[in-house]
Amino acid sequence: MTDRIIEAKGVVVRHGIVELLEHWLLGLSGIVLIVSGLFQMPMPRRYYIIDIPGMAWSGDFMVTLQIHYIAAVVFIAVCLFHVVYHGMLGHTTMLPKRGDVKESIDVIKTFFGKGEEPPFHKFLPEQRIAYLGMAVIIAVLILSGIVKTYKNVFDPQMSFLWVSWATWLHNIFTALFILAFIAHIAAILLKPNLPMLRGIFYGSVRLDYAERRHPLWIAEIRGAKQPEPAPEEPLEEAEVTEAAGDVPEKAAPAGEGDTEPAESAVDLPEETPVDEGKRDATVPPPEETENKGK
Amino acid sequence: MNSHTTGAVTRRSFMKASAGAAMVTGLGIPRTVNAGVTGLATMIDLSRCDGCVDFDQPRCITACRERNLSVVPEPVDPMPTLYPRGMTEDWSKKKDVTSRLTPYNFIYVQEADVEYQGEQQRVFIPRRCMHCDNPACATICPFAANHKYDNGAVVIDYDLCFGGAKCRTVCPWLIPQRQSGVGVYLKIIPELAGNGVMYKCDLCNDLLKEGKTPVCIEACPRDAMSIGPYDAIKRAAKERAAAMEGFIYGMQENGGTGTFYVSPVPFDVLNGAIETGPGKPHLGPVKRAMEAMTTLEKSVVFAPVLGIAAGIAGALKVLAGRKGGNDND
Repeated sequence: MTDRIIEAKGVVVRHGIVELLEHWLLGLSGIVLIVSGLFQMPMPRRYYIIDIPGMAWSGDFMVTLQIHYIAAVVFIAVCLFHVVYHGMLGHTTMLPKRGDVKESIDVIKTFFGKGEEPPFHKFLPEQRIAYLGMAVIIAVLILSGIVKTYKNVFDPQMSFLWVSWATWLHNIFTALFILAFIAHIAAILLKPNLPMLRGIFYGSVRLDYAERRHPLWIAEIRGAKQPEPAPEEPLEEAEVTEAAGDVPEKAAPAGEGDTEPAESAVDLPEETPVDEGKRDATVPPPEETENKGK
Repeated sequence: MNSHTTGAVTRRSFMKASAGAAMVTGLGIPRTVNAGVTGLATMIDLSRCDGCVDFDQPRCITACRERNLSVVPEPVDPMPTLYPRGMTEDWSKKKDVTSRLTPYNFIYVQEADVEYQGEQQRVFIPRRCMHCDNPACATICPFAANHKYDNGAVVIDYDLCFGGAKCRTVCPWLIPQRQSGVGVYLKIIPELAGNGVMYKCDLCNDLLKEGKTPVCIEACPRDAMSIGPYDAIKRAAKERAAAMEGFIYGMQENGGTGTFYVSPVPFDVLNGAIETGPGKPHLGPVKRAMEAMTTLEKSVVFAPVLGIAAGIAGALKVLAGRKGGNDND
């Protein structure tokens, strides 16, 4: 990813151009989808929206439906791009981790003056949970929306079971989408989160803010040792250890607090002589360490 | 008026039409319909309809009302005041109106006094929902309260309908009719959302399911209406029109409908002679409004492919850059 510290400017680059484009295309097409979607109900005429200068189109279902479709093409394409692009590149920082729910509750408590925030990674635990929640809502909206559109063009006599499921899921998840949208805006406007706001416009946040609140992220960028490796990593290492019989070099970058090294160190003498080539192969290449957790 | 005006002045076409009728009967189309048959269509032969001048009112209307008059529940009194526009529609005190479509009257008969090919004639046109092939009233109902079923019937679910009248707005013939003060909206926030229930012909969907014939068709004393498999009825309508050197309405209109009017008089002539307005549908040309959006709709359906392709292309580019030792995703 593009995450890097620009000391001269005192900022940390948080989002690359790809992420910024994704975010704003989704946000803008999402707003258009919400508005044009609500206009699929006969409300503009009833509530004088059509009488607002420049809003006469809002009362024409054929116009609002076309707008909905155009925004949907952008929205759907960007969502699928997001999943495929970041999936293929192994970007996982936004995915929820074990313990995020509990930690989120603790963080929310600090907004009310209770307790202290734990050190954060790039994203707050509630951001990761919100990401998953938003992803589920969006997935249901896209699937149900595509079923509805498919029916309109290819199969107007589609089974009523499909039509009613698609319609009602689309309606209910639209309500959830609007709530999630509002919550998303509200969360960024909270005082502790406000310094992150510039990140979604300019791509970078202030370094002093990031050092204070996101020390795990900064540490990772600086390539320092990670006090908190991902939970599955020790497991992987154990498997590698057994297979290759090659322990000390591997255990070292895994960091302190791991019970593995001691035990392995005992095993080591029995395994000698260690093949030099094998040993080298199991040492993680330097790039991999840098990429960890991105 | 004379019940045989139509027949008399167009005897030649009438006789040809009768031959057509025999063919239709030969196909076994009218009257009996098999339950579960998909894609039904109806034909209305205007050369046969005489407006039931020998009866108090056209028999199709009588039969339809017998079946459907009790469909609408008694509206609440007083009706909820709608905010901000107080635009309720109440037909409950005008249930007797049979000269147009209302929530209590799903079929009526238009009259057209026309002069065609030098002959003065009166044509009667039974009007109801056309049961279109791709009905926007159903496909874009926000609550899936209106649906076109396999048998071809476009049916409003009166228990689910909020009465927003979107279906009427997007119907080229403005067929569905609203009764305020009834329906599910009363149980939500009646002042702010919804305005009653929309009513229209459902092609006697319950009867179709049992393999029976819609009551208007059953009741017609002149066999002016018939119902059967879509393709067979379509073929019969074309044969009949050819036989009377006549014209068809409903086959192309709105992208195709499930109702084929066959007439010895051109429909633009009839359209100029009938009274049109609210509840009184026209007979003019209709292009399906959503036809213009077909490309856009296909783009929506295939948008995931676009996104996936872009994602793969983008990721491969970044991965290629990484291999070259330049990780700048």
